[in-house]
Amino acid sequence: MSERKQKHCTANTVINISSVSKAFATRLILDNIDLDVARTQSVCICGVNGVGKSTLLRIIAGLLEPDRGSVMLCGYNLRKHPEKAKPQLGVVSHKSMVYPNLTVLENLSFFATLYGIRDSTSRVEELVEDVGLFSYRYDKAGILSRGLLQRLAIARALVHRPVVLLAYEPFTGLDVEACEHLINVLANFTNNGGTIVMTIHDIKTGIRCCDRVVVLDKTQLIFDAMFSDIDTTSFAQDYLSYARSKN
Amino acid sequence: MKYFWLSFKAIFVKDIVTELRAKQVLPTMIVLGMLIVWILRIASETASISTAVMGPTALWIALLFSGLLAQERSFATEQQQDCIYGLLLAPVDAETIYLSKLFVNVVMLCIFEIIIVPVVFLCFRLSVQNRWLALIGVLMLGNLGISSVGTLFSAVVQLTRTRGSLLSIVVLVVLMPMMIPATFALLILFGDVPDELVGSGAIIFVGSFETAVGYMIAFDAIFVVACWLLFGLAIKE
Repeated sequence: MSERKQKHCTANTVINISSVSKAFATRLILDNIDLDVARTQSVCICGVNGVGKSTLLRIIAGLLEPDRGSVMLCGYNLRKHPEKAKPQLGVVSHKSMVYPNLTVLENLSFFATLYGIRDSTSRVEELVEDVGLFSYRYDKAGILSRGLLQRLAIARALVHRPVVLLAYEPFTGLDVEACEHLINVLANFTNNGGTIVMTIHDIKTGIRCCDRVVVLDKTQLIFDAMFSDIDTTSFAQDYLSYARSKN
Repeated sequence: MKYFWLSFKAIFVKDIVTELRAKQVLPTMIVLGMLIVWILRIASETASISTAVMGPTALWIALLFSGLLAQERSFATEQQQDCIYGLLLAPVDAETIYLSKLFVNVVMLCIFEIIIVPVVFLCFRLSVQNRWLALIGVLMLGNLGISSVGTLFSAVVQLTRTRGSLLSIVVLVVLMPMMIPATFALLILFGDVPDELVGSGAIIFVGSFETAVGYMIAFDAIFVVACWLLFGLAIKE
């Protein structure tokens, strides 16, 4: 895979990762990572297992502190002004982060309250319609299928109208229909001015729902390009053979 | 301030509703508490120990161990589906999370006390002779101390994935300074300090009922403030 890096820093930058390094014990995971993500961009972070994709996302989310470097979200330093940076961010993980004993409505109302949403009832009802959970709104989250639970997880992440959506492997365990639904929800989010950063294993899905790809390997970003600037078919083939060689 | 109350209330209501639906903590606490009281009642009969000595001991042991059960669950529910990250990602102070979890644990232990205290009184034929308010005060101070330390260490144990018996070991050791005056406060209240303890170092240290309560208030203040301040560090990964 040819080495390619480009800088995407504009006045519209919503995520600014500057010289971020992270090690666990003596094992260096990320070394001096720089990455800027512009508004309405959707970026997929690729790489084989264990290269630090999730670590990078956790650092962006503020769940993990970098050893060195800083992360700015919409101009706010995540460490210095978490109360301003956190509301800009929604996170979807492969685990739903919702309470199994609460209903769909109760879960969303709970998170809406935590984010200080004023008209939480109307926001929650609007979201439930948007993600297609209206007929399940009084069902407990614990009895929802994987696909429905992922819709609820997305609704939870979007309840406070974030500017940035971080998604860890959001398509894991979803069937084709659920994947299509998720791709539509993500497209709507970016069309309405949102920015997405996701980690993904299936590069073909990444090509469908993102407009930029970065590849992580050996603690570094080794590839960074807009899909519009590259031949996606040959990139997908190159990436798959690269991933196979690594496994 | 308004936001603090809104998030405090939201987390509190969420935890209570979750418990009412799951019915996991209270039934287990009650069964364990009853078992402890029953076993110690049999032991006091066979060893011919005064019930006024064994009663307060049974009450504190039941409160401690049943309290540990409740506290262990308070963060175990947050581990399901990584819900704790949902809380940490929201712009809620760690201190608010701690205070609401502490309040939930205090309420759970209060409900448990309402059930277990009459059982202890019946089993050990105890009488406080119109000093009910003093008894309630001592139990509430004990409740607050146990819950404050238990809530902090429950978060540490659950979030660091240490689990196992670490919670009970750590909490029991930390609570030891408060449990000495707490036990003596109840012994004095029930009017039966054992002869072998009269004049001993422990009773001289505790002194009167008022001094014992004073120690409990001091320990509670230290525990609540220290745990409240340390909670932010405890949940940092």
